Amino acid sequence: MLDVNVKVFRQREGQAGHFQDFKVSVPDDANVIDVIDAVWRQDSSFMFRHACHHASCGTCAVRVNGYEKLPCIYSVKDAMAGRAEMTIEPLRNFPIVGDMVVDVSGFFQKQIASDMLITRPAEKTLGGEAYERSEVFSTEGKLEDRAYNRFENCVECGICISACPTMAATDKFFGPAGLAAINRAYQETSDPAEREHLLNLADDENGVWRCHSGWECTEACPQNVDPAGAIMSLRRRLIGRRLKGIFKLN
Amino acid sequence: MAKPHVIVIGAGSTGSATAHDLALRGLRVTLLERGEIANMTTGRNHCLLHSGGRYCVRDQESAIECIDENMILRRIMPHALELNDGLFVAVDDSDLAFKQKFIDGCEACHIPWRDVPVAEALRMEPNLNPKTLAAVQVPDGVFEPFRFSLAFVATAKKNGATIRPFVEVKELTRAGNAITGVKILDYRTGKTETIGADLVVSAVGPWAHEIARMAGVDVPVLPTAGVMVTVNRRLNNMVINRLNKPSDGDIVVPQRTTSVIGTTSWTITDPDQIDIPKEHIEMMLEKGRELIPDVAKCFTRGVGAAARPLIRKANADERDVARTFECFDHKFDGVEGFVTISGGKTTTARAMAEKVADIVCRKLDVQAQCRTKETRLESYRRYYE
Repeated sequence: MLDVNVKVFRQREGQAGHFQDFKVSVPDDANVIDVIDAVWRQDSSFMFRHACHHASCGTCAVRVNGYEKLPCIYSVKDAMAGRAEMTIEPLRNFPIVGDMVVDVSGFFQKQIASDMLITRPAEKTLGGEAYERSEVFSTEGKLEDRAYNRFENCVECGICISACPTMAATDKFFGPAGLAAINRAYQETSDPAEREHLLNLADDENGVWRCHSGWECTEACPQNVDPAGAIMSLRRRLIGRRLKGIFKLN
Repeated sequence: MAKPHVIVIGAGSTGSATAHDLALRGLRVTLLERGEIANMTTGRNHCLLHSGGRYCVRDQESAIECIDENMILRRIMPHALELNDGLFVAVDDSDLAFKQKFIDGCEACHIPWRDVPVAEALRMEPNLNPKTLAAVQVPDGVFEPFRFSLAFVATAKKNGATIRPFVEVKELTRAGNAITGVKILDYRTGKTETIGADLVVSAVGPWAHEIARMAGVDVPVLPTAGVMVTVNRRLNNMVINRLNKPSDGDIVVPQRTTSVIGTTSWTITDPDQIDIPKEHIEMMLEKGRELIPDVAKCFTRGVGAAARPLIRKANADERDVARTFECFDHKFDGVEGFVTISGGKTTTARAMAEKVADIVCRKLDVQAQCRTKETRLESYRRYYE
């Protein structure tokens, strides 16, 4: 077992935040979510979000020792390397509901704008080979020839929002996840009107042009979504569209 | 007369679906949850949309519920599901001997199935054990449990339900032999308050006993824990099941870019205090390797466990108003205005909700038909609107 000294941020509605020290004991191969759970076992008023414990739900994101992490996949050994204690705080750039819990509603409203589907076509194995197409059962339970799908990489954890310096300056910024979602939705559709609509969403003073190109989002993302890459891709598409417009004028 | 008010305790899949069903029938609904939506039992489940294949030999009633609900969920939440089917795979002689029983079970439970030649199965799933002896395809699917529950909650909210996460029920209030509401502690403010209701539904899974105790009654729910081990690569496209009777480590469910191996089972006393035995984690990896050898080349990304509600069947009597769904009307214990639903599986959450909502409406003398089979759910994101 590992004995861990942990400094946890506490805050109740209408009160000032402060840190509280806990000592917990977790298995040697535990992840930081187990430390958070151990704190809750000592004090059931401790508020935190979690569900799957395998980086799929995206709810448990916090800052560990100042860095945005999904504690469910961040090992205690790594988090404690060279340190005497661990600090756990809520994400930045979100209103705090209490303790580790932040209000993600503004974030999800931006996600709704692109209407990115949770599923995407599963065209490749992770080994990079194409899946052999086969018959798959339909909604009516009949075999049909259709593409496999799989869940999107983005787990909507909000880590990129917390890591983004532009978000710290203005919450009107669409944000890395929202823009990455617009880019995904653009890739998924071949409908010119829908593509035009998505590019218009991105082409806003609070859209891709607000990004300071610091790449903190891509650095912090636990799912390799590469939001900054998506923003750059949208910028290239928008510049291409403008150039086309100029040539048409002349 | 004002619309009756129903409090649903617990926002796992069952409570979320129950809030949705009752709101759709026009009742005033308040859904209470101690933490975030789906933060416990539902949140840490397999992510498996059951075809019923797992139960089709030994528990055909459950298998039929699963396939029926599977087909309904495909219609009402199509964008929240990965629908790549599942393979039941034989890797030894004992598995192979089970094959005909499995196919007969599928037939008996109207589960669509296809006998996939081994060479084709290996082409479809290149990481499958090359020693595979047989493979049968069934319409398994994959969901993401948090968003599965949110889709129900989002729709309930659109239909007027009040959703209150991070509040814990501390007491059930009563007048004579009737439950009249709940006393809650709101963790956001640290304050307590009392909420009145015409009826209280307990949908807290393995905690059912603890809420029932507040009403002075007992429910035969035994919390049992199960571990899920997630490896860092997505090794399969379809759900890969062991073609045999249910056992530890009999399934590898793909989830996003990872694979989730499950599960084990051990009895616990307190569902809030689960310590995962290290040997269970090792066993999952070992059993997972038998289905997909490349599990050995992966590292473990996440480990989770949660308590499941197991219903003790021994004392089945008139209290057990519907055994299949484990729904208890506590008027049979001398307490009015209080119903418990427990047991079951996330795949059958909608059906469980239908059953408990039927009982609630009958008790409150509300004439309203269930409409959840036909009502397409809102996007999970709309919970946050």
